[in-house]
Amino acid sequence: MTTLAFVNLPVADLGRSTVFYEALGYRFNPQFTDEKAGCLIISDTIYAMLLVRPFFGEMFGRPVADAHATTSIMVCLMVDSKDEVDRLCNAAIASGGRKYKDVEDRGFMYGWGFEDPDGHVWEVGWMDPAHMMPEGEPA
Amino acid sequence: MPTLLFANLPVENFARSRAFFEALGYHFNPQFTNENTGCLVISDTIYVMLLEHAPFAGFAPRPIGDTHGEVQASLSLTAPSREAIDEILAKAEAAGATVDPEISDRGYMYSRQFTDVDGHIWTYLWMDPAAVEAH
Repeated sequence: MTTLAFVNLPVADLGRSTVFYEALGYRFNPQFTDEKAGCLIISDTIYAMLLVRPFFGEMFGRPVADAHATTSIMVCLMVDSKDEVDRLCNAAIASGGRKYKDVEDRGFMYGWGFEDPDGHVWEVGWMDPAHMMPEGEPA
Repeated sequence: MPTLLFANLPVENFARSRAFFEALGYHFNPQFTNENTGCLVISDTIYVMLLEHAPFAGFAPRPIGDTHGEVQASLSLTAPSREAIDEILAKAEAAGATVDPEISDRGYMYSRQFTDVDGHIWTYLWMDPAAVEAH
């Protein structure tokens, strides 16, 4: 069975986040989306659950950190071309995101990133597949 | 090529974290692992980069938060069965994690979570494939 990952992130305004991520070209899975949570589909194995802050705090029993003040996670996505890296980051910045870092181009590796409206850091990169050793599921 | 996820998390002591996740049955990709940073292989598309505070701070735009007292994100991973979840939670507890005693069992969905030594919360969940329609 294929493992699926859900990155759970708190958001201040789910409506604003939905508009932001839809502007990047993503869509939400309606089965797991309601007024408190949005299930952002990144790929068939990768999802982000955007949860409104009070619900998020309740779920984990702790105060919710302010990602505008501290950074405790950086989510990196490796996509299949440099053009896709640029498309995602440019769309994020055009839609209210902030540039997180400048383009880093080392030839076999290319990437930059953005912060979403809640301050969550997303790095988007591309790597020449020839430079990545194959890795599978743990035995 | 499918999209790959690398969730980057700060850890206080990479050797300690490595021993913990190896005790859970995971391995690290040696190509992206050194003495203070490790690439934890969850699947062929899902990875978690564990970085000690100094290298993490080198990439992070803001200071690292209190990962024990607050929560800024968490990860949920699917598992093939209830038994597989119970097994990984037992390994996590034996390796020093704090296991949440609450078990969520709604019949078609089962989930449990633990907090690792750095305060990061990991949720494992199983969903009945019949209950999850393809969208």
